[in-house]
Amino acid sequence: MILANTESNSSLKSHNTRFNPYDDNGGSIVAIGGDDFVVIASDTRLSTGFSIYSRNQSKLFKLSKKSILGSSGCWCDTLTLTRLLNARMQMYLHEHNKEMNTPALAQMLSTMLYYKRFFPYYVSNILAGIESDGSGWIYSYDPIGNVEKCKFRAGGSSGVLLQPLLDNQIMLSNLQNIDEQPLSLEKAIKIIQDVFTSAAERDIYTGDEIRIMSITADCFKEEKIQMRKD
Amino acid sequence: MFLTRSEYDRGVNTFSPEGRLFQIEYAIEAIKLGSTAIGICTSEGVVLAVEKRITSPLMEATTKEKIVEVDKHIGCAVSGLMADSRTMIDRARIECQNHWFTYDERITVESCAQAVSNLAIQFGDSDDDGAAMSRPFGVAILFAGCDEKGPQLFHMDPSGTSFQYDAKAIGSGSEGAQQSLQESYNRSMTLKEAITLILTILKQVMEEKLNSNNVEVVTVTPDKLFHMFSKEELDQALENVTPLIKDEGEASTSRK
Repeated sequence: MILANTESNSSLKSHNTRFNPYDDNGGSIVAIGGDDFVVIASDTRLSTGFSIYSRNQSKLFKLSKKSILGSSGCWCDTLTLTRLLNARMQMYLHEHNKEMNTPALAQMLSTMLYYKRFFPYYVSNILAGIESDGSGWIYSYDPIGNVEKCKFRAGGSSGVLLQPLLDNQIMLSNLQNIDEQPLSLEKAIKIIQDVFTSAAERDIYTGDEIRIMSITADCFKEEKIQMRKD
Repeated sequence: MFLTRSEYDRGVNTFSPEGRLFQIEYAIEAIKLGSTAIGICTSEGVVLAVEKRITSPLMEATTKEKIVEVDKHIGCAVSGLMADSRTMIDRARIECQNHWFTYDERITVESCAQAVSNLAIQFGDSDDDGAAMSRPFGVAILFAGCDEKGPQLFHMDPSGTSFQYDAKAIGSGSEGAQQSLQESYNRSMTLKEAITLILTILKQVMEEKLNSNNVEVVTVTPDKLFHMFSKEELDQALENVTPLIKDEGEASTSRK
């Protein structure tokens, strides 16, 4: 993501300096859905340009018992969006006397993003959730609300770096003579740890720590794994 | 009593000293002039039936629509001022589509009824944002639908109060019909039994003779959703009605 910052060096008198409301604070998200679980992870580095704001900021938001959102990009937009999401979910609960399920949440997020079509939230969202049949699914978004339902997805600053890795490790694409086995939660977490390690080697906006949240039918788990901090 | 009424029954937003809003009570009275509509909820689905008053032999009976589809899974039967019902059905349809658009799921029957209730109480003085309805709506509505909680029936009156019912009658014949429903309804009845019961009761409370031209029947079931009976289906359903009444007649004579 390239943001015009070249004009900041020009003289203050210049009228060419335009107000730029967006910043890219980096961060990566990876999510994997299995037959009976869903797992989502983010790094904890928050940065701008060559500076680091924080080494300890998770980008995961537990929205309900059955769904977690990972949101990276412009951090202030992430904060506003997630607060609004929580408010809308609370309103839904009061209006319809039930908790929002994952597909409803996924659709609502899409419409919320599209309603800001011409001044978008500068964020890369990945929603991970358990559906009514107990299976785990991932919904990934672009900043203006296009949504895709899939089984695994990488997003954020290392998204393009990690997606082919996941294709290879989970979908087993471009592999021969491999017998496909159903993915377990333990294996999914191992893959997540590996791909984040790879991302931290190449992407300066990804690093410090991995935060992992997983949901199964009977439990919610959270864990931390350390990464390189340079 | 008459004196107090005449002082406080003009303004729609003035309570009488006893704490009553007469215009709402009058609106509820207006429903009792409307044609009878009945709804019965079973575990297999909900059935709605209304009488259509054919006031002239020259009138095209099919243009009188008293049961309408609000969404694929919700149907409404109305009684009272038909013109008012248009506005309310419109709102119900908008709310259903809005819910689908935002959440990609079917709205619950309860939420749909609640949304229309919100419209029903928006009468009285207009706000800055334009003219409001100057009087209560003269309509009662039966909401029949199937959602994740299964088949459900809701009733809403002009005061905007809505409740869930197993079986409910509105309109001119509602008192007698409600009494009959209370006697004959049981939770384990099948949809087919409910259709026969609803037509039997309608036949009892209608002034005119019941036939496939002056009645409308709709079922809402989990698999077929909203389904309006065709003339053939109505004739078929009506065949079950007559023998039932005959049986009752014989039973009562044998008791003598």
